[in-house]
Amino acid sequence: MDFTWIKLTIGAIATIGLYSVLYRENKFYRLIEHIYLGLAAGWSITALWTESLKSTWWDKMVGTPTASGQPGTPGYWAYILLLPIGLMAYFVFSRKNNWVSRIPIGIILGLWAGQQADAWSKKFLPQIAASMKPIIPNDAFIVPAGTGPTPGSLYVSQAVTNIIFLVTLLSVLSYFLFSFELKTRFMKGMTTTGRWLMMIGFGAIFGNTVMTRFTLLIDRMYFIWIEWLITGTFKM
Amino acid sequence: MADLAQEERTFGEKLQSLPRQVLYLILIVVISASVIASKFAGPALVLPNKPGNNAIEFYATVMNVPEGSTVAIQSDWTNSTRGESAGQLESLLRILMRRNVKFMVYSLADPQAPQVARDTIARITLERKLKGEREYKRWDDWISLGFFPNGEGTAKSIQSDIRKAFKGKRDVSPEGPRDVYQSPVLKNIQTLDDLGLYINITASKTIDVLIERLKFKPARFGDFEVKNKLGSMCTGVMGPETVNYYSAGLLFGLVVGLNGVVEMETLMENGVNWPEGKKTVEYAKDKQLVVPGWTGKQNYARGTSYYFALHTGMALLILAVLAGNIGMWLARSGKGKNA
Repeated sequence: MDFTWIKLTIGAIATIGLYSVLYRENKFYRLIEHIYLGLAAGWSITALWTESLKSTWWDKMVGTPTASGQPGTPGYWAYILLLPIGLMAYFVFSRKNNWVSRIPIGIILGLWAGQQADAWSKKFLPQIAASMKPIIPNDAFIVPAGTGPTPGSLYVSQAVTNIIFLVTLLSVLSYFLFSFELKTRFMKGMTTTGRWLMMIGFGAIFGNTVMTRFTLLIDRMYFIWIEWLITGTFKM
Repeated sequence: MADLAQEERTFGEKLQSLPRQVLYLILIVVISASVIASKFAGPALVLPNKPGNNAIEFYATVMNVPEGSTVAIQSDWTNSTRGESAGQLESLLRILMRRNVKFMVYSLADPQAPQVARDTIARITLERKLKGEREYKRWDDWISLGFFPNGEGTAKSIQSDIRKAFKGKRDVSPEGPRDVYQSPVLKNIQTLDDLGLYINITASKTIDVLIERLKFKPARFGDFEVKNKLGSMCTGVMGPETVNYYSAGLLFGLVVGLNGVVEMETLMENGVNWPEGKKTVEYAKDKQLVVPGWTGKQNYARGTSYYFALHTGMALLILAVLAGNIGMWLARSGKGKNA
């Protein structure tokens, strides 16, 4: 009985315990759930220190030694000023002085807001530019099978694809024109088309979500049957 | 009274109200049987897959990044999405290690993520060791930078000055913990554009944080042109919104969910427009592009092992939806009474 097998067995018991709630609520499930929550909280606190705070704050403040134990990087005392700002957030638990907690929140909001113009342009401008697609073909009906598309050419099949894209884009955008009443038959048709196309899109998104959930179950079953039982226990 | 109501149910009504425990049991039995069948059937159950342009471009770019360069892997997933994300990271690591590309790994999303990534690296390193291949060594070939709690701030910092962004971080070297900039992995990285590629493996919206803050210059790897060095491997849930970024040219490639893992494994086995592959994977956009595969190596792995079960699970779901609808139709039309 080696350590790897013990590890796998604990994982298998935890998986079975968590899935037991599918039958009905039970004490075994609650036990595993509480163990998991405790472990996750403990791990996160430890990891926050070892993976993050120590290197990005503490070591920079107190300095770090070299591998031989000699003074290496000098510390910078100003990092101590970050501590009271962080601690201010805990005043949210004080009824009398909870206004203090708004100071760090305000700093974070300010930093966030300052980045948004740049962030917006980097994220959306390329998408807007990519939406401007040509729709008038200048070449053959379909892309030639042997050589692939010629640079600068727009085949009829590509133009049809672009038209479908543009109709989708414009009709979905028209659905969100809430500021005035859409009276013409054309605009009403556009918004209805937009709504239908969005429903098709939501269906595709939901399909992807279902596929992810299935994969998570498959992974757990793979762990139980293959990693724990067949490979781990019976060494097959 | 309850028993009486049960007895009076029509077949259509019964079809619509199967106990959920029964449905879960059928699902678990079908998935378990499929997983076990995949294990024992081996190549006989490798289902066909046609990689899309997004996965082909991802693979082609990773296969063209120069040997010895450094790839940043922002690994933002934990075991909750192991089914999809583990296979993605494993396929990426197999390629990078076979091509002698260095990498650094860190997370901007979850404190658990760095350990999960290190476990995955250990798994692939062991796999290579058992096959007699060169062992990928921490410090010389890869480093772990840990977790950064402020994703937005860190991404901004990486963009502004990558040397300052990871300042103070130490990793395990043969001589004990040392400053990461002394490692061969980061030694020559002065700016963001010195990175070979920047790849985000995520189960959440962290790719948005990177797109909003990182800006790469177009680059050339020999004859291969790279317009953007940012790539994404995301879960199926995040796929539909991430695909917009790929379409707009904000990503050099995109791998989505379990299907994406299978696409990667198929490409590793067969290459792109590669005549030596077992089957030809065509890249319609550029027939001149030839990217080799790794025929004969361990390419089909986690993705392929799960793929058959995904199909049987989906078939079961479609069957359940059909059964429910037939039940509704029977109940409404008054048919199936006393069945």
